[in-house]
Parts: sequence; C-alpha cells; structure tokens
Amino acid sequence: MKSKYYLNLISKMGLVTLFMFSCLSIVHAQDIDTIENAKITLSFDDSTTPRKITAIATDMNGEPIEGLDLYFYVKRTFSNLPIGDVFNTTDDLGKVSVDFPKDLPGDHEGNVTILVEIKDSELYNDQIIETVKDWGVPTALDPVNQKRSLWSAGANAPISLVLIISSLIVSIWFIIFYIIHILFRISKIKNTKA
Amino acid sequence: MKTEDHKVQTFENRKEKDLFKNLIFTSKHYKLWVAFLLLVIAIGFFAYYRQLKYGLIVTAMRDYTSWGIYISNFVFFVAISLVGSLFSSILKLNKNEWAKPLTRISEIIAVSAIVCAAAIIIVDMGRPDRFFNVIRYMRIQSPIIWDVIIISTYLVISILLLYLSIIPDLALCRDELNDVPKWKKRLYKITAINWSNDPKQIGLLNRVSKILSIAVLPVAFAIHTVTSWLFATTWRPGWDSTNLGPYFVSGAFMAGAAIIIIAMYFIRKHLKLKAYIREDHFDKMGKLLVLLSLVYLYFNINEYLGPAFKMVGVEGEHITELFAGKYAPMYWLVQIGGLILPIVLLLFKGMRKPLPISIISACVILGAWFKRFLIVIPSLQHPYLPIQDVPEAYRHYNPTWEEWMITMASFAWFLLIITVLIKLIPALPIQKHDHVSKNIPILNLAKNEK
Repeated sequence: MKSKYYLNLISKMGLVTLFMFSCLSIVHAQDIDTIENAKITLSFDDSTTPRKITAIATDMNGEPIEGLDLYFYVKRTFSNLPIGDVFNTTDDLGKVSVDFPKDLPGDHEGNVTILVEIKDSELYNDQIIETVKDWGVPTALDPVNQKRSLWSAGANAPISLVLIISSLIVSIWFIIFYIIHILFRISKIKNTKA
Repeated sequence: MKTEDHKVQTFENRKEKDLFKNLIFTSKHYKLWVAFLLLVIAIGFFAYYRQLKYGLIVTAMRDYTSWGIYISNFVFFVAISLVGSLFSSILKLNKNEWAKPLTRISEIIAVSAIVCAAAIIIVDMGRPDRFFNVIRYMRIQSPIIWDVIIISTYLVISILLLYLSIIPDLALCRDELNDVPKWKKRLYKITAINWSNDPKQIGLLNRVSKILSIAVLPVAFAIHTVTSWLFATTWRPGWDSTNLGPYFVSGAFMAGAAIIIIAMYFIRKHLKLKAYIREDHFDKMGKLLVLLSLVYLYFNINEYLGPAFKMVGVEGEHITELFAGKYAPMYWLVQIGGLILPIVLLLFKGMRKPLPISIISACVILGAWFKRFLIVIPSLQHPYLPIQDVPEAYRHYNPTWEEWMITMASFAWFLLIITVLIKLIPALPIQKHDHVSKNIPILNLAKNEK
C-alpha cells in the first residue's frame, strides 16, 4: 500500500515539474519575441579637436533608447581597433559620443572605415554600421613593397625565381606524364606470342 | 585468406613457390602483428582527435618551440624515403647487380616513408582544414611551398618507381595465383595493365625504367635539400649554415641504408627467404653503411667544428647546450652510439652478419631519429631575440603523450603500409629480373640450390 502511495506521489511531482518547465519555456519564448531592431543614426563632427562621432539610438517607434551599449571600432588590416571608452552607453536622449584619435593611419587618401556595433543586447538585435570617412592620416605607398622581391606578396615574386621553379616543375612533371603515357601504350599492346 | 593448415595451390617453380607462399597463406603471427599496429594507430587517432578538438594546446609546442617532434619526425621520414633512389638509381645505374633483389624492399619503404612524411605535416597543422589555403594563397618565394611541391612530386615518383618494377610480377600473380580472393585477383588484373611479356612491352618498360632511374636522383636530392632549407632559411642558431643541404642528404642515405638492413633481416626471417637475401647481402650492405656513415661523419664535423671553434653569442650558447648542457647526454649518445660506434663495429666482418648488423642498424636508426630532434628543438629554444616575461612552459619542450602517441602511430602506419604491400606483391622481384639482367642468374638461387 505504501509503495503505491509513493508511486502516486512521484508521478504527481513529475507532472508538476513538467508543468513548471513548460511555463519556463513559454516565458523564454516571450523574451525572444520582445527583441527588436534598433535604429542608429551617426553624425560626424570635424569642427572640434579631437573629432567626435555621435550616435543616436532610437527604437521602432522613433523613441530614444536609453542605456544601450554601443561599440565603436576602426577597421585595421587584421582586426578592428576599439575607440572611445570601454563602455559607451546612450543617455536619456539615446545619444552617445566618442572621440576619434587624430593619429590613426588611413589609406593613401586618408580614408578609414568606422564601425558602430550593437552586440549581446537583451532588447535589441545585433547590428553593425560601416561608414568610410577621410579622418585618417594619409599613408604613402612604399614603392619598395610594389617591386618584385623575395619578401613581397606572391603576385610580385621575382621573375627569375618564377621561371626557375616553373621550368623545374614543368620538366619533371613532363617526365612523369610521359611515363604514364607509356604505361597506357604498354596496356594497349596485344600479346603477339598468343 | 588461407592459413598454412589449408595449403591448396602448389608451384613447381622453386622461386615462385617461395615468393608466392606469403601472398597466399596468412600466418597467426602476421595477423597478430597487423592487430598490434592497428591498436597503436587507433590510440594515435584518439590522440589526434583530442588535438583536433582542443587544438595544438594539447601538445608541448609553444611560442618558441613551435616545431616539435612532429617536424623532427617529418624530417626523419623524408630521410628514410631517399632510400628508394639509393637502390633504384645510384646502385642500379652503377650496375651493382648484388643490390637488385633489394630494390623492391627499398621502393616499398620509400613509398611508405613519403606517405607518412606528407601525413605528418598535416598533423602538425593546427587547422588542417585550411591546408588548401597553402596552395590557394601560395607565395612561390616561400621554402614551405617548395617543400610542398617537391614532396608531392617525389610521392608520385616513388609510387611510379615501385609500380614500374612490379608490373611483370603483378602479371605473374594474375596468371599464376588461383587460390586468392576475388578482389585480389581483380586487383592483379587491373594493375597488371595487360602485361604479357611481349618484347614491345619489355622494351617500353625498360626504357621508362631507365628514364625514371635518372629522373629520380635530382628529385631525391632536391626533396631533402629543400627540407634542409626550411631550416637554413630561418635565422636561428644551428640552422644558419650553408652545409645543411649535403648534411641532411648524407644523413638520409645513412638512415635509409640502415632501415633496409633491418627490413632485410625481418623479411628474410619471417618470409623464410634465406636463399634470396643471403649473408653476403648483409656484408655488402654493411660496407655500404660504413661508407655512407663516413660521409655523414664528415658533414657532421663540418657542421659543428666552425661554430664550436668560434663560440659566438647565441650560436655558442646553442653549441654549449648540445655539448655540455641539457641536451648533452642525448647528443653524445646519438653521435657515438648512432654514428661512430657503428662505423667502427661494422669494419669487422663478424659484425656484418645478419643479427649483429641488424642490431647496429637499429642503433643507427634510433640515432637518426634523435638527431633530427636535436636539429629541430634546441635551435628553437635559442631565438636571437631575448626571451622575457613568458610563461615557464615556453622555455622548455617536453612532448606530451598525445605527441608521442601520434608519432608512434605514424611509425605504425609506416610499418603497416610495408606489411600490407609485401602481402600483395612479392617481396623480391620474380619476373623483371630475368628481363633486366639476363646475364645474371635468376636471383641468387644458384648457390643455394647446390
């Protein structure tokens, strides 16, 4: 009798736990539904020193978003360089400003790519906005890097090296293909003894 | 597979009987040996799975020692693979008829070694899935690209060398072996490419064999020279040497000759081929090993004497560490036990008998493996820039169990490829020998049969 009672109790507890989990998952689903897109408007002020980038975040209804963390970067060759403070949080007007460093190298015209990112927000979807500005220090192309040399990119390899290696590869692989061709000829020869 | 208790097919020809026996019958020892190799490979795969899952952090390689035992093992396998050219080219073109029965073994070892060398490079990559980026974004100026090109070329040439020499035997297997599984029969039929001992076929085969014997030599020299350039073009103490190319090539030939002797010993014993691989083969191989070791000793003296005399800066530190420091026991054991003692011992005829010479060759091989360890690792621990503020683990290199097991598995692969190949094709040439060297009695049976 006792064992029946315990079995009944366990099954009821199981049902209650199942119900609790289903409630949790419903709440979770509601959370996901509330995530929406934020709108970021950027303005660039080069009248000040240092120059300023201002971002205004608004929601779908055009209301400013307060307390949203935005991340500012400048695109570099291998990764993105963070600029501004560690946390750049929007104020009650949805506004946040960061200083742009005056000594960042750009391309030969001084162009740099500025990235503003929303990431890991509980309320808004991740997004990245890219803007190209001529706020960098123009860098002159080093003509040495454009010349054919041992240390340049693959496309600028010394002609002599390309010729030597190519001719070695071609000659040895020509022999290999010739041998394979002869093997085909051997396989086609019919037994004259037979 | 048939066991020895169920002998069905018999051969009238003594040579065919002796050499085909192994292809038809499978002994318990053979099965146990294959099972053991597969077990080692399985453990190696588990270690590699861990490396793939967690990354190269499971190895002891860090910022300074970025090439560990994988790369020393790679250099070792490349060295071993040169043995194919030693027999199929150098000894063949110099008309050393005694070496002809050993050519097949050398070619099998060469194929197996170069396959393992190519595989171990992939194992050394943290992201093997990006291997094709090496080709896609290649810089022809990079010695690594030269190595990739030459290794793939030598792999194809080694396979061709072996294949050209086995075509007549494959045809013989196709025609003579009735008591083998269907798949094996079909394999012989396809690979024998309609070979029928037709004079035209023999003429063509002899022609391409000769062309390949000549072509393989510069490629073989290039493969190990380019491998040495991977080091010589990197600015580290111990590698900054113009001697490195011939030093590597001579060491490779020495290691190759030693591994042939060990293979000869085991094949002769387990396949019962004493009539074919005779004591005078061991004697001649012993003399050859002494000659090759002397050449290697000469390049060793050249490699160490200059820097040791000058003892300049980090180069001097590197030499001190090898001669009297942390690596001194290994260094002297390798130089004395793996090079000088074998030369001295093999000068005595008694030491060139099968068992003693095989033991000496095993010492040479062990020495050759650890020599590559000594070439790669101590140099990496002495960069020209000072080592400052780094974790303690960066200063030392003690391979982890994953590295050892993957290395052991590569040896097991190497042995498994040889084991499988000598189960598929006769370990010594049966047919081709008759055509290539008509003036030589069929193998070395004559003496034995008397």
